[in-house]
Amino acid sequence: MSDVAISSTVTRKRAASGRSKTLGTTGIVVAIVVAIVAGWQLAVTLGWVNGRLFGSPEGIYRAAVLGLSPQGTLVPDTLATLFETLMGLVVGSGLGIGLGLLLWFVPRVSGVAEGLSVILNSIPKIALGPLIVIWFGSDMASKVWLAGISTFAVAMISACAAAREVDQDLLNLFRSFKAKPGMIFSKLIVPGALPWIFSTLRVNIGFALIGSVVGEYIASQAGVGHEVFVAGSLFDLNTVWLGIIVLTLMASILSWIVQLTEAKVITWKRKR
Amino acid sequence: MSSPNFYSPHRAEVSAPAAKPSERLRVCELSHAFQAADGDSVPIFDRLDFSVGSGEIVSIVGRSGAGKSTLFNLISGLLTPQSGRVEVGRRADGGEGRIAYMLQKDLLLPWRTVLENAVLGIELYRKVRREDIERARQMLARYGLDSFADAHPHALSGGMRQRVALTRTLLVDPTLVLLDEPFSALDYETRLTLEDDVMELRKQNGTSVILVTHDIEEAIAMSDRVILLGGRPACIEDNIDVRLSTSGPRTAVSAREAPEFRAYHSRIWNGLRGHSIQHAGASA
Repeated sequence: MSDVAISSTVTRKRAASGRSKTLGTTGIVVAIVVAIVAGWQLAVTLGWVNGRLFGSPEGIYRAAVLGLSPQGTLVPDTLATLFETLMGLVVGSGLGIGLGLLLWFVPRVSGVAEGLSVILNSIPKIALGPLIVIWFGSDMASKVWLAGISTFAVAMISACAAAREVDQDLLNLFRSFKAKPGMIFSKLIVPGALPWIFSTLRVNIGFALIGSVVGEYIASQAGVGHEVFVAGSLFDLNTVWLGIIVLTLMASILSWIVQLTEAKVITWKRKR
Repeated sequence: MSSPNFYSPHRAEVSAPAAKPSERLRVCELSHAFQAADGDSVPIFDRLDFSVGSGEIVSIVGRSGAGKSTLFNLISGLLTPQSGRVEVGRRADGGEGRIAYMLQKDLLLPWRTVLENAVLGIELYRKVRREDIERARQMLARYGLDSFADAHPHALSGGMRQRVALTRTLLVDPTLVLLDEPFSALDYETRLTLEDDVMELRKQNGTSVILVTHDIEEAIAMSDRVILLGGRPACIEDNIDVRLSTSGPRTAVSAREAPEFRAYHSRIWNGLRGHSIQHAGASA
């Protein structure tokens, strides 16, 4: 009992020092970013670099104000890309994870399916873009498909692996208690796979975003990718930068939401 | 990889004429062999026979590689014997006997609380009732774990975790408990306490225990009988009734202080060693 108490105070101390360390690190990161932005602006203002070819922080700010104004399309574009990415992520990863886990019931099929999904995963999904646009048109559906396909194989491979890598001794324990396969699945395989599922989701946010943005590059009427593509062909580099910043923010926020959910769901992990 | 759906019904539950009422387990002419990579069949057991009585604690001791773990898996029903039978005796009231096991690894599910882990065995074969929860809480309290019932396993020390595993094993009301090196990862003091817990169990519920171990001291201290397993295919080389004259009740500590302890120790030690010398001679 006493050793438990001691270890918990040690963890708390470590957590406290960890927190101040994180604060310090964040401060340094912010300082570097501010320095780069300020240097960039200075270089453009002093004429060291060509603002038309590189864009400038001030120009990006003006593009943002314009984008958010009533004539601007920044908000609907952002919402369009967010919707495509989320739909693709949820449907693609959901199907992949569900199928990958369910394949545990049929180990023989599981090997075949995993082999197929490895091949599917080796296809550079972006290369499928033109096909998908031809099949599903130039509106949102094609972007959702592209985002979904980009995430499906990864999710399925990792769910298959998670189900297969379950501790054999735990499996034997369940069998010794005469557990039916359905029970083993719901009480051992699924909860045991949760940490894998969350790390897959985090990786897949990036893949889904690439899928929808590339889909927008190929053919689209809306979306951040659309805006970036059009602005790029008009040499409006400030708007291009604005789009990149919006996409980065979107990826970070989505990843942060997944992390928060993971912390809510997986409460049993030892806190480090 | 074995199919996850693979599930072998325990032989004893299908074969009708089971062990005698006083017997909790009967191993009859058990033979088993492994298929080596080159296709050769390597016999592990050849017509092994023994039985475990009601409320008896039997240790199975042997050098590593003697087939202890295979025997464990055969008795627990995780492996189906190629020939011979493993019969589980009925309960005193005629109900079906039940085997539960415990390993060196506590095998607690990290996402379940201590209480949820304790009732896992019940949950897997029927609905958990309020009485089961009550019983689980009482048993945890007996092991000093009542304040940890709602904690997750990672908050517990190794000895506490192993006690939760013991609670989970006992809550399914087994007639026979199989223990495979259950305490070897624990410190000496915790180990002695848990040995006492197991001996106490037999005293209170008449549960029979089979302890698979390579620890000679633990085998002598806990058991009524020690079975020495050796050779290939393995057979019973010695069957030793352990009678210790302890001052006061027999506990993990008093058993080790009994005057007969050393004699049993050297008999088993020589049994194990004798075999290793034979092996060395054969391979030379």
